Amino acid sequence: MLHSSSRTGGNRAWLYLLPAVLVFVIFYYRPLLEDAYLSFFQWNMISPTMKFVGLSNYQQIFASKEFGKILGNTGVLVVLLLIFNFLLPYGFAFVLTQLIGNKKAQALFRSVFFLPSTISLAVASIIFLWMYNPLAGPVSLVLKAFGLESPRWFKESGLVIFALSTIIGWKAFGYNLIVLIAAMVSVPRELIEAAKLENASNWTIFRKVIVPMTSPTALYVFTITIIFGLQYMLVPTNMLTQGGPDQGSSNIVYIVYQYALVFFQTGKSAAFAMLCMAVYVIFLFLKARFLDKRVHYEN
Amino acid sequence: MHNPEPASSLWEKGWILVMGLAAFLMLYPLLFMFSTSFKDMNQIFQASLNPFSWPPTMANYEVVLEKFPFYQYLGNTLYIAVIVTLGKLATSLLAAFAFVYYEFRGKEKLFSAMLLTFFIPTTVLVMPNYLLMSKMGLLNNPWGVILPELADGMGIFLLRQTMRGIPRALLEASRLDGATPFTILRRIILPLVKPSIFATSIFFFINSWNEYFWPLLILADRDNYTLPLALQMFISAEGGSEWGIAMAVAMFTTLPPLILYLFTQKFILNTFMQSGMKG
Repeated sequence: MLHSSSRTGGNRAWLYLLPAVLVFVIFYYRPLLEDAYLSFFQWNMISPTMKFVGLSNYQQIFASKEFGKILGNTGVLVVLLLIFNFLLPYGFAFVLTQLIGNKKAQALFRSVFFLPSTISLAVASIIFLWMYNPLAGPVSLVLKAFGLESPRWFKESGLVIFALSTIIGWKAFGYNLIVLIAAMVSVPRELIEAAKLENASNWTIFRKVIVPMTSPTALYVFTITIIFGLQYMLVPTNMLTQGGPDQGSSNIVYIVYQYALVFFQTGKSAAFAMLCMAVYVIFLFLKARFLDKRVHYEN
Repeated sequence: MHNPEPASSLWEKGWILVMGLAAFLMLYPLLFMFSTSFKDMNQIFQASLNPFSWPPTMANYEVVLEKFPFYQYLGNTLYIAVIVTLGKLATSLLAAFAFVYYEFRGKEKLFSAMLLTFFIPTTVLVMPNYLLMSKMGLLNNPWGVILPELADGMGIFLLRQTMRGIPRALLEASRLDGATPFTILRRIILPLVKPSIFATSIFFFINSWNEYFWPLLILADRDNYTLPLALQMFISAEGGSEWGIAMAVAMFTTLPPLILYLFTQKFILNTFMQSGMKG
């Protein structure tokens, strides 16, 4: 509205957009296309020629046992992440904004809970590797105090995903909490007061007032819990388990990397990348469907 | 009338206790890193639950500072983080300005396409970008890490969001006074959005400083390692890890972002709150 090209003779917007556009095109959108292309070929990254194989990479993936395992692992992981980084922070945000009135306590808890978000996942992985150490790590000592023997957390199929997901849980909890707190603080006070006058219990207030009033933000947090949570998993998975034992901790995000730069099967990696994108697109679509409309016309 | 004051404050105390316990659990891993970095091997294995076993040892830090190219790794990390922060800031400011100041076709679509990049999983970008970097001869070069990170969808989003708050009349008036768009950006908008620039920069810096995955793929040579990469040299999932030294390196890796956060909490928390409210 300030500058329309017709009025000023020359719209220079592109000049300001160009640097960012270049980076995004070269390093974000080109790779997506290249993945799509490479997924139809067989290539080991070194050989000068690529062999066109049509859909065979996809067929091989769908026919493999591995694929079911990867999807299963990813599903378990998503559930765990949603518990640690969506349900828990949701409850905490309610407690911190509605059940604790002391402003100083609120602020203190907020900054303590956010603190781990500033820490490198590489550091978090190392700390948790030691905390879960079966011989002398704190977790095993606590278990011992209850007469239990510590399992080898990162070596056992059923446990490894749980152990890894607690690292992400720790790291991502704070950011999600902060975002949810912001949403709950903006719920009009009068609504809550009115409910209290009618003797509504905290649980009723939570269900009938807070949940409906914060649902767009909750949906945002729900989506990023999955989107970023899966991505974050790359670091601890690569540092601590390399997807093992026996692919027990691999997932749809890690497998893409593994096929590319560990097994050097670019075709399969690219096909997995496409499948991974498909999973992401579903969630991004959800997010866009419910949120972006609101975002763009607000303000 | 239902007004059980004393009861409700008792409830509040109960909730504060619960939250306090949770806060302790959240801080425990950090406390643990801190205390382990001052322990020798015996103390680590015999008193792992005791955060302050006596006497503390500085041996781990001495090893890190004297027998380990610590300053080189620190320098590498800082070099990448500073350039990435400045680069992202420049490209984000320019793009955000274009979205606020100009009207053009496909604006909303372009904006969405830019914001979307923030949500694309790194893992699908890694192989094609690795191949590109290898063609450009940038493997094992800090610029191989830096180049793909010179723009940031969330940065553009956050800065656009604050720039939108500036009254249009103000910009229009300067334009009528003959100010060029770039002057308007520099003289009028930048001073007004300083707090956002500050918060966004800290966000960029911390993220780049902490980054592990992409640098790991590009920086194969130990001489080029950043601190998060150096961490893995001391641990092995098979055992035989140098826990004390690893925790000392972890301390050095953690302190800069942690201190930055502690000093700028207000800005950071506010910015992050915005990011969720509207994104």
